Amino acid sequence: MEPLSHAFKERSVWALQDETLQVALNRAKDGFAVKRAKAVGALPEFESLRDRAVDIKNHTLENLDHYLERYADAVERSGGKVHWASSAEDARRIVVEICQASGARMITKGKSMVGEEVGVNGALEEAGFEVVETDLGEYIIQLAHEPPSHIIVPAVHKTRGQIADLFHQNHQKYGLTRKLAEVPEMVNEARQVLRDKYLAADVGITGANFLIAESGTSVIVTNEGNGDLTCSLPKVHIVTAGIEKVVPTAEDASTLLRLLGRSATGQDMTTYTTFTTGPKRSGDTDGPEEYHVVLIDNGRTTMLGDQFREMLRCIRCGACMNHCPVYGAIGGHAYGWVYPGPMGSVLTPLAVGLKEAGNLPNACTLNGHCAEVCPVRIPLPDLLRTLRHREYQLRLGLKPMRWGLAAWVWFTTHPRIYRMGTRVQARMLALLAGRKGRFRRMPLAGSWFRGGRDLPAPQGETFMAVWQRRQRGKG
Amino acid sequence: MSGGREQVLAAIRRSLGRGALGADARAALDARRGATDSEPLLPKLPKGTSAQVFRDGLEKVSGTMSELTALDEVPGAVAGYLAGHGLALEAAVAPSLETLDWAGAGITPSVGPTRGGDFAGVSHAWRGVAESGSLVLLSGPDNPTSLNFLPDHHLVVLRAQDLVPHLEQAWAALREQGEEGWPRTVNVITGPSRTADIELTIQLGAHGPRSLHVLLVD
Repeated sequence: MEPLSHAFKERSVWALQDETLQVALNRAKDGFAVKRAKAVGALPEFESLRDRAVDIKNHTLENLDHYLERYADAVERSGGKVHWASSAEDARRIVVEICQASGARMITKGKSMVGEEVGVNGALEEAGFEVVETDLGEYIIQLAHEPPSHIIVPAVHKTRGQIADLFHQNHQKYGLTRKLAEVPEMVNEARQVLRDKYLAADVGITGANFLIAESGTSVIVTNEGNGDLTCSLPKVHIVTAGIEKVVPTAEDASTLLRLLGRSATGQDMTTYTTFTTGPKRSGDTDGPEEYHVVLIDNGRTTMLGDQFREMLRCIRCGACMNHCPVYGAIGGHAYGWVYPGPMGSVLTPLAVGLKEAGNLPNACTLNGHCAEVCPVRIPLPDLLRTLRHREYQLRLGLKPMRWGLAAWVWFTTHPRIYRMGTRVQARMLALLAGRKGRFRRMPLAGSWFRGGRDLPAPQGETFMAVWQRRQRGKG
Repeated sequence: MSGGREQVLAAIRRSLGRGALGADARAALDARRGATDSEPLLPKLPKGTSAQVFRDGLEKVSGTMSELTALDEVPGAVAGYLAGHGLALEAAVAPSLETLDWAGAGITPSVGPTRGGDFAGVSHAWRGVAESGSLVLLSGPDNPTSLNFLPDHHLVVLRAQDLVPHLEQAWAALREQGEEGWPRTVNVITGPSRTADIELTIQLGAHGPRSLHVLLVD
């Protein structure tokens, strides 16, 4: 997908002014945080499990070549085939080739973030295949021709009225002409439409939440059961997975599963956790005849070797964005690529470059809430700071900002001048504000005052002056 | 595709700042009990029998359960369930349960996989997990996966002796079956299908079964 992250500021303004989006975002904001807190509070072992999860991920990353080889060999032993993709382009080509070789026409897909990342759908459609997303949220945004705005709930930005319109426009061709209003009937109509797609599909493509090295197993987690229908009904099953998804054993995956559901949706266990190993066995009466896994690097090995290795622990639960005030205000589309929120603000610049996405790491209040809730303890604010530093070193930021920062550095490293300057400035502002003690308007700060806000003027002495006086008083 | 494999592995090793691991190092990794080389960290379960803890977990996710004293009672219990839901006495039944007396309970069974025409599917779970009220089902000629997902009502036979406290005991048992232990699909199922994709409103029966009923056989 072509990134639009360079337009982050404009897109944020649109998002803030989009009343429908604001309604949808407000609904989502507290729901997730409350559910997570409740589920986490009910499991005394949660913090120890987080430590364990960090150890599991770190150990696997330190020995990633070994575990990937073990995994690939086990897949081949079970009758599956493993494909290695260094780039997004490789991944797209491999998936298209598998579909062509199988003589497929119709392809169903379970939600796969790495699939979005490398642009699988576009490549398949260009090659002439009909591609149907089966996760209800993904299906909705596919009808709307939009990217996901959340990694767990892709259509969280849509209201039921908008979804009813989409179904009304797109389901006429199936003879479903009634305009719907209630959630249950909409879910039922999508179920009915997609059921026929599952049964007609030639290839099913899913992602993977984990890959188990020991047994060559891929694990997917869904609530709807769409992933299961996608991977068990068509005659070919393709798994697309980032190379960081591998863990040594099923026990390791189980530890991570205890964190994933609780962090993502506040569920102790997601409804369907499905472990697939190879194609159907002799004697099996259902299941796919071919099983392919596409292991995707696409920049991950670079992250493994630099200060962003910790980002590879990410299990894509979405807790960071659910607790981010910036995401909560603007939603996922403003970020302009596949991954939004704090994790997206780290991943996007690494994937598409700081020149394109330099605004994202700066759109952060550094309140640290994302790191507090991250199940695998990724120090997201630190990584965002590192990206800001890198941006500064590459001289990519806006010039006025660079000058401003340079001036700030000079003042703060000359404390006498700094103190004198702030003292004079505070007095001047207090005088200018007059008796009201506040400003209605100020040059160069027009936008701050929009929406009827006043700026309070400084009162009395500066902090340093008060501090020094108190210290003297003590002595 | 072997070129792709070597390319990715070489990039990993460059980033880790080392060459390929030696045979000894690899053998040491293989000998570990998973990534942390320690016993899995298993959450303490609430007080009560396994069946009680399992039932609580299942009901928390909108599953239902009835307890039977013998396998022979399964067809009657299925018939009761179907009648209670206003359904015809028909069901797609896993071959592993074929020998039960379905006709005696007035049920017309269709044995084997389903392509979606059946309202009820009956299959058997290999293990039940008390911690989360989850069922573990293995695919195979005697237990087709389609029964777990296509029917509106999924009924699952679980023997009380197959209840384990945590998922980890199920993996240990599977490992004991050796290299052939992993079937094509292991389904860990926790409640009926659900979605919250429209306005975060939870709705059961998204794509899979609208209801899940466990028949626990002592």
